[in-house]
Amino acid sequence: MKTQNLGEGIRFCSVKTDKFKTCRVNISLAMPLDRNAASRAVLPFMLQRRCAEYPDYISLNRELDELYGASISAGVTKRGEAQVLNFSLTAIDDRFALDGDKVVLRCAELLTKMIFEPLTDGESFPADIIEQEKRLLIEIIENELNDKRRYAMLKCEEAMFADEAYGLNRFGTVDDVKALTPDAVYSAWRDVLEKATVQIVMVSSLDPKPVAELIKSKFDSVERSPEVIKTQFVPGLPKPEYVSESMPLKQGKLVMGFRTGMRNEDDMMPAMKVAVDIFGGGTYSKLFSVVREKMSLCYYCSAGLFNSKGVVMVQSGIEDVNEEKAKNEIIHQLALTANGEFTDEDFSASIKSLTDSILGNSDTPEEICVWYASQILREKMKTPEEYAEEIRKVDKQDVVRAAKTIMLDTVFMLKSNGEAE
Amino acid sequence: MNIKEIKNELLNEKYYDIDHPSGLKILVMPKENYSSSYAIFATKYGSIDTMIQMKDGSFKEIPEGTAHFLEHKLFESEDLDAFERFAKTGASANAYTSFDRTGYLFSCSANFKKNLEILLDFVQNPYFTQATVEKEQGIIGQEIDMYKDVPDWEVMFNCLMNMYHNLPVRIDIAGTHESIAQISAETLYGCYDNFYNLHNMVLSVAGNVSVDEVIEVADKMLKPVEGKMAQRKVIDEPKEVVSSYVEEKLSVATPQFMFGFKENRDTPERTAKEEVTMEILLDMISGQSSELYRRLFDGKLINNSFGFEYFTGFGYSCVFFAGESTEPKAVADEIVKEIKSFRENGFDKAAFDRTKKKLYGRMIMGMNDVDGIANNMAISYFAGEDIFTDFEIYKTVTLEDVEELFKNTLDENYSVLSVIKPN
Repeated sequence: MKTQNLGEGIRFCSVKTDKFKTCRVNISLAMPLDRNAASRAVLPFMLQRRCAEYPDYISLNRELDELYGASISAGVTKRGEAQVLNFSLTAIDDRFALDGDKVVLRCAELLTKMIFEPLTDGESFPADIIEQEKRLLIEIIENELNDKRRYAMLKCEEAMFADEAYGLNRFGTVDDVKALTPDAVYSAWRDVLEKATVQIVMVSSLDPKPVAELIKSKFDSVERSPEVIKTQFVPGLPKPEYVSESMPLKQGKLVMGFRTGMRNEDDMMPAMKVAVDIFGGGTYSKLFSVVREKMSLCYYCSAGLFNSKGVVMVQSGIEDVNEEKAKNEIIHQLALTANGEFTDEDFSASIKSLTDSILGNSDTPEEICVWYASQILREKMKTPEEYAEEIRKVDKQDVVRAAKTIMLDTVFMLKSNGEAE
Repeated sequence: MNIKEIKNELLNEKYYDIDHPSGLKILVMPKENYSSSYAIFATKYGSIDTMIQMKDGSFKEIPEGTAHFLEHKLFESEDLDAFERFAKTGASANAYTSFDRTGYLFSCSANFKKNLEILLDFVQNPYFTQATVEKEQGIIGQEIDMYKDVPDWEVMFNCLMNMYHNLPVRIDIAGTHESIAQISAETLYGCYDNFYNLHNMVLSVAGNVSVDEVIEVADKMLKPVEGKMAQRKVIDEPKEVVSSYVEEKLSVATPQFMFGFKENRDTPERTAKEEVTMEILLDMISGQSSELYRRLFDGKLINNSFGFEYFTGFGYSCVFFAGESTEPKAVADEIVKEIKSFRENGFDKAAFDRTKKKLYGRMIMGMNDVDGIANNMAISYFAGEDIFTDFEIYKTVTLEDVEELFKNTLDENYSVLSVIKPN
């Protein structure tokens, strides 16, 4: 992995390998997550569907078909209190092109045209396009309800981080989107180009130089002044909050949000990673082996660490009547972890499983891109090997110390007993 | 032992097809420079296999959801269960049950041989007791309930239930609370003996491995058995659908729909050529570069979730168009209108060429990841093909093939519109 700076706050990271039959280029643009999230969230989806040269998505899609089915996808993620806009290009490697086409560079050009040369009507975006994109983004936000596991997670975050930027939806709210004007979106687009922290990851067998130069030349025409992105790390509440909602469902969803004592995304890492894994990670973890296997309470019960915010979220799908039983057991299992009541086998299973899966992260272009893209806000990036080495050095005492700082903050229960309206 | 090398020049890829003396087919694709490896041990036994063939040739019914139940229970043994054994090696292990197969798998970046040993061992050594079966009924009951709240899942099964009168593809893979209550340790042993015969299975491996390593472990772990392929019963199914419209209310925001077209074929399984040709046909009619897509999108009738699928397996084949829409009926009408227009006006050669080029690229893109490759090798083997078959067939497909296929599919008289509405 090699990195180079293409400008202020623009890092280009390339992994050159001929392992794959494709080339992948990922461009991530991070901005502080705030009340203007909606105006930026609409951008990747809108830009990915058209540009000045291909003014509608049918002509653009036909061009992508001609480029051997290359795909450019768009998305928005939350990383700590940053809103990250993502574009990902997948194209076949030039060596598989039938007529010696330079597929990769042509695709990269198309990608930069989408971001830098969108379809405008002068100093704004066309009103009909903004209306269409607003409709689509509203449907995306509203349809987050369809995945109940994810919905319950979002509701828990909303309650838990009500006074912090992290509580905001990465797409903004439906009302925010409804209020968007072409001018507001246009100025958000200029803002992102000027102020975002940018990271590009390229995984390919080709020399990355032409792609790096192409992207650099586009950013060179922008006056850059990247904004500082900071995430608040907040200690746990002494008295946890409880929130619930009811819907007509077959199964309830329990989400328990915990704060840790982490003061930044690297604090107490990777011991915290191991602690959370022993508590609720793999099949050897306490939550899987006790709450699922021994007590038969659920099909899934697991804990995840979000180190970019220093929080741990536990999720489980249960029957409403088992809510207290499940909650008490989850808290009990956390206490056992914090008291060091786990076996040497559990500890070593966790270290082995974590390192094994981290090292396996270099076998698809997508995983490599995600690995580095998720480090967009880090000054120095870690390779999977470096991170695996850090995990191997964790000892039991570190785990206990980290686990002791985990405190319950908010419980959200999506109850299944609601009536249909 | 017969070892055959299967190569593809264009992709510069090869894998090994091994007839192991135990009766098991083993497929291995070594991938240099990869740090991980993936192995799947699969049997040709899925949720559609609701009958066991008895010694006298007759078929006996088994409870719905048994294949999936068995998948859960096989991880257990008298002492250490499979998860506990994999915990010692660091591998990530899992299993799945689909309509027509069950697969047990792991991926790892260290200790490959030990992991393969565990995989071959636990799948060959069933251990069920009435107590552990009853415990699992709670966990699977929760899994069934979880899926009842997933609109994508419901919209599909409602569609299948209203498309097929008799074929077991219409039932939920995990069964129902009632059907799994009938499963006993004895049921599981019966199904195990019938379907988990090495001659009915395949071991497929890809990644940082060598053929010798795989054979060494196979020699040590596989117990030769008397050859027996489980037979699938051909079930009669009328041409007609059960009902052309079905709806259900769930907690969703935008309605979801699946518009399915039942096919009526003379043979139980579709060929690779039919599948590839259909892929091209459906992309030309409704892919993201099609006029239909533009019309639906600009008409505010669909969003990004719109897509199509050729859904096939033993005894069944149908076409699905699915997505989210405020007006599912209007979408279905537009699709029917577009099909009629193609029947009258035919297809555009330029669109055909473009679609073929896209398909070529997409097939290449599918050859990166070891889990996809290993699964595809297993699926291709069960279908009597190899993973490069599609590459060869793709070259031979003509526009005439597409037109010919079009004559026998997408008949609106045999369609079902399934809708999930907000409650």
